[in-house]
Amino acid sequence: MMRTDVGGWALRLFTYISMAFLFFPVAITLLVSINPREFVLPPTGFTLEWFRAAWASDTFVRAMGVSLWLGLTATIVANAIAFLAVLAMIRYDFRGKTLINLLIMSPLLIPTTIFSLALYVFFARLGFGAGIPALVIGHTLHVLPFAVRILMASMQNFDMSLEEAARNVGAGPVRTLFSITLPVIRTGLLSSLVLCFVLSWNDFPISVFLAPPGWTPLPVELFSYIKYQYDAVGAALASSLILISALAIIVIDRMSGLRQVVNH
Amino acid sequence: MRSKAAAVLLAPSFMLLLAFVILPLLWVARVSFNTTVDGAYMVSALTLENYTRFLGSPWYLVNTLWFSIRIAVLSTVISVALAYPMALYIARTSGAQKSILMTMVLSPLLIGLVTLVYGWIVIFRGGGLLNSLMIALRVYDEPVRYMWDLKGVVILLVYIGMPYIVLSLLDSIERINPSLVEAARNVGASPWTAFWKITFPLTMPGLHAGLIIVFSLNFAAFAVPLMVGANDTQMIGLVIYREALLNNDLPFASSLSVIMVAANALILTGMGFVFGRLILNRLEATR
Repeated sequence: MMRTDVGGWALRLFTYISMAFLFFPVAITLLVSINPREFVLPPTGFTLEWFRAAWASDTFVRAMGVSLWLGLTATIVANAIAFLAVLAMIRYDFRGKTLINLLIMSPLLIPTTIFSLALYVFFARLGFGAGIPALVIGHTLHVLPFAVRILMASMQNFDMSLEEAARNVGAGPVRTLFSITLPVIRTGLLSSLVLCFVLSWNDFPISVFLAPPGWTPLPVELFSYIKYQYDAVGAALASSLILISALAIIVIDRMSGLRQVVNH
Repeated sequence: MRSKAAAVLLAPSFMLLLAFVILPLLWVARVSFNTTVDGAYMVSALTLENYTRFLGSPWYLVNTLWFSIRIAVLSTVISVALAYPMALYIARTSGAQKSILMTMVLSPLLIGLVTLVYGWIVIFRGGGLLNSLMIALRVYDEPVRYMWDLKGVVILLVYIGMPYIVLSLLDSIERINPSLVEAARNVGASPWTAFWKITFPLTMPGLHAGLIIVFSLNFAAFAVPLMVGANDTQMIGLVIYREALLNNDLPFASSLSVIMVAANALILTGMGFVFGRLILNRLEATR
């Protein structure tokens, strides 16, 4: 009996130490960003000065605009086509369904390095090189598998007779979609939208490959900033990104459960 | 009629994936046989020179291919060592405690890479927290270089791999029937024996799944070595990135990606073979 307790206790201790390892960099970034004396820890006070500087920087604000535009476009396009694909997969039986599913999941299975290189080389062939179209398409396809998976899960629990009933009382397909289907799957749809956006908003590997000069998303801009400058303004920007991600994590966890959503 | 409706619904995603994933991948394979003249202009050709340039060069084989494999194996093994006990512990918890632990483990997957890297830079850079602490405690006298060095790359790869391993292991652990372990304990097995004979073999499929994901991610990594690596951190993913974007040598970058995918497939096949044998041996031993 004694041994079980020792084993369990050791396991718990180890887990909390590993958790600390996972959270250490996040906690340190947050601390540095509110500390009036740059990088002197423990914090000696509280200030929002670094945040003010980060959010007043033209470079960062422009990059935020780029990331916002990119994230929204990728999210909306990916979810729209994912919704249609999920409808087809759930409601119809056809040959090659497994293959189609594999194709849709493929951006997750291909290493980002190769996924981005392929788009880069392909767009160079088309005569564009790294540019806004390549970047938007790259982000859209990168988040598409996540959208399909979440929407698939929420459509699977959908009671088809609801739609039939609406159709029977004379609602058209569009009306049925907006007043029955979408409201029923709204939690799944919401977490899909939030997840896709936050994945695109935080993405670095695809953006660093495909972003054209002069149209830099925020993570790439932050990276080039911290490469050359080392100050608490960078920490404040990183903290802003952490807070936005935290908000997204809470929403997704409430709506669909984080674990179901990120599982590979 | 019905399958026509399905075709219409699938058309947008299918076309997009075909045009921007499948075709580009095929194009990369084709470009890998092209040549580059004057270091910048790609010329259509059918030559193996990009492949021989890499595979025929002992320098590349040792400093890029073998180096990437070593770093990927090392980071993956450390990730597993840290993540395995975590998965065991999380599987024992329930309710609010479990969901908080899960959220904490998984959130690094959603917090951006650059943001996480920033935190590590604060901790690990020359005059950073760790060095100040170690020097204050007199563990060593001179600051140790962690960032812009191989150590930083390994630390970050370990860190990023952990959530995936915990997730795959949990899927396996939660499937184990608790009465199996209980039965072993009832016939007098110590907790350690019960773990080693019952739980551990049953987590092999989850471990295998986790290793596939994390090894592949680490082997192909380019963002981490780009951000915290040194100039001689020539991981194959980073070499691909540099050849494509900085040297504009698309044929060479393309042939490197083909080599990378082939090497990865070979390693995963070998790993699958080993896991198959491990699981079979266990079955025979317990018979």
